[in-house]
Amino acid sequence: MPCPGTLSVLSAGSAATSTATATATSRLVLLLPLRRPGAVFSASRSTIAFPSRETSPFVNRDKPTAIARSITTSTSTTTRFPRRHLPHTHQHHHVVRRQYHSHDHPPPPGPFTPAESALLGAAYTHVAAQGFSREALALGARDAGLLDISPSLLLGGSDGGVFALIWWHLYTQRNALAAKAAALFASEIDGSPGGSKDATAATPSLGGIGGGIRTVSERVEMLAWARLQGNDEAGVVGRLQEALAVMAQPSYVPASLKELALLADEILYLAGDVSVDPSWYTKRASLSAIYAAAELFMTTDQSPGFRETRAFLRRRLNEAAEVGSAVRSAGEWLGFTASAAVNVLRSKGVRI
Amino acid sequence: MAAAPGALRRALPSIRSAIVQVHPQNKSQLTRLFSTSLPSQRLDSSSSSSSSSTPEYAIPDPSRPTHFGFETVTEGEKRERVAGVFTSVAESYDRMNDLMSFGWHRVWKDHFVASLNPGFSPLTAGPDPRGSQHILDIAGGTGDIAFRMLHTAHVLNNNPSVRVTMSDINRAMLTVGKQRASALPASQQAALSFVEANAEDLTRTRPLQPLSDAEKATTKHAFFDPATATSSIPSNSVDLYTVAFGIRNFSNIPAALREARRVLKPGGVFACLEFSKADKHPLFNALYKEWSFRAIPLIGQLVAADRDSYQYLVESIERFPSQEEFRDMIVDAGFVVAGDGYEDLTGGVAAIHKGMKPRA
Repeated sequence: MPCPGTLSVLSAGSAATSTATATATSRLVLLLPLRRPGAVFSASRSTIAFPSRETSPFVNRDKPTAIARSITTSTSTTTRFPRRHLPHTHQHHHVVRRQYHSHDHPPPPGPFTPAESALLGAAYTHVAAQGFSREALALGARDAGLLDISPSLLLGGSDGGVFALIWWHLYTQRNALAAKAAALFASEIDGSPGGSKDATAATPSLGGIGGGIRTVSERVEMLAWARLQGNDEAGVVGRLQEALAVMAQPSYVPASLKELALLADEILYLAGDVSVDPSWYTKRASLSAIYAAAELFMTTDQSPGFRETRAFLRRRLNEAAEVGSAVRSAGEWLGFTASAAVNVLRSKGVRI
Repeated sequence: MAAAPGALRRALPSIRSAIVQVHPQNKSQLTRLFSTSLPSQRLDSSSSSSSSSTPEYAIPDPSRPTHFGFETVTEGEKRERVAGVFTSVAESYDRMNDLMSFGWHRVWKDHFVASLNPGFSPLTAGPDPRGSQHILDIAGGTGDIAFRMLHTAHVLNNNPSVRVTMSDINRAMLTVGKQRASALPASQQAALSFVEANAEDLTRTRPLQPLSDAEKATTKHAFFDPATATSSIPSNSVDLYTVAFGIRNFSNIPAALREARRVLKPGGVFACLEFSKADKHPLFNALYKEWSFRAIPLIGQLVAADRDSYQYLVESIERFPSQEEFRDMIVDAGFVVAGDGYEDLTGGVAAIHKGMKPRA
């Protein structure tokens, strides 16, 4: 492997296996600014580290970026913490928060402190019966051997931690997706299902065959459905409406949208999407909208096994794919026509 | 003003104007000189900080330097001067709060109490078999927090078993609180008790002996003398420890935090409402600093006829540690926190800090 000086390049999501691809990727990386503000520069590594075939793509991560955004150089450490970071306690401040995704590091700690996790984890078991409410929080506190007053530790306005409980639901369900993905796609070819299709992954195609290698869009559908089933498994489907009502309160809208974006990103990442063009954004935006709509549909779905929800989800994803391909076709046609028109004019002697 | 010191009158006009325009870096040097802040680098070997060993800075020492506004005094001296300040403002305290904050302090206090939701018990499980809730309101002063707690617990949460203890080092403030409490319903008055105590040592307290009119003339007997203690607050006896706009006046904040941890039951919550830093919004911060350093002492002079005391109030706000520093002090005293450990109110002009005493 060629080693470009002190640069080390981490490629996310794609398993680049040939030197040619590696060179291409590092050239791509070099176009990006060397020192992004907030990036962590660590002195410990100065080698090229591409995920090999045995590296599982199903690594949980919290700070997703597009492919190969991570650059480390051998300079001193500079860290800018994001707005919500863990307090400087002796127990859990050893993990430095990274601003990029890496297969080589453990995921950064979540937004919940250990005390919070214990309390919310205990309260979550009462959500099915009591809803996302102070009642569930107080019962959870008793289960955890704490006092009735203990849930008031949770921050987040005058609702006494109810949004924290909803956030816990969203966060744990999102984190559980990685294991579900590993189980769902275990039947596929050994190695790296995400990386083996990097050439075609950017163009989602429909109508793949089951059993063999699935397309990204098929996996997206499976993962979105797995996430929706998570609501059912936790028994909170009947409580989603009240959760959505709380999430729609103005002070919680930003956090809720952020969590939705992270979910869409997680699904696409686990599905093996490696796009590095503007479709990176459009895919996540459309998946966010579709997922939110499907979850809303689910709150009123009475069909056995929520099969109507699954059909709804499929229809929306297919529509998005059709619209996407139509837009792409129109774009191609326009581009071709425009360049042809220019060439015709040039052939007539117009100086363009 | 017998206790209003001459030194305050030299109230540093030059430094005051410098502070208003000072750069954040310089300001952080100014705000971190003495015992209210932690030693900047704690050793990791003390990771069992929740255990018995109390660091030296958390043991009250009357001769250790601390700050009184922008002045440097000893801890013992600060205690007497704070007593003087609050004795002189006790009668006009509530009116002044309204004028200084445009009444907004009521919104903060309402939010503070609503977010704590005292007296709530799960309906399905019924009242707590481990005993009724006991709330300790430190620096309770004129009762703003304690009365709201009682209302939330007794009326909104329909839990008349909740008891509230109002504690203050200053008899003058507590006397005003007791007078105001006579307007409460009888059931709430019965659940309320008044205690004179120094928050740094709650083992030595005594029930309130209201200040007589004769004593009001002098500030001499205004603050609690531990030598006259007759009772104490036992360990592991309090569900909720609140201190609203009081902790910045403590001579030794780490000692008070450790004492809070001692009296709280495991699972009990420490909650603090205090002025803080609005540095995240520079423009708003500049306006706020102008208001606090120019207008508030003037209002104090006109309304309460006591400029020095209000000069001290704004200087002590400036000297109080930032949200993150204070959060770290709470964690260092052995509490666990949720999320960031604090919640900003009105862009950080005030902040709510919360911590929970973990199960042993």
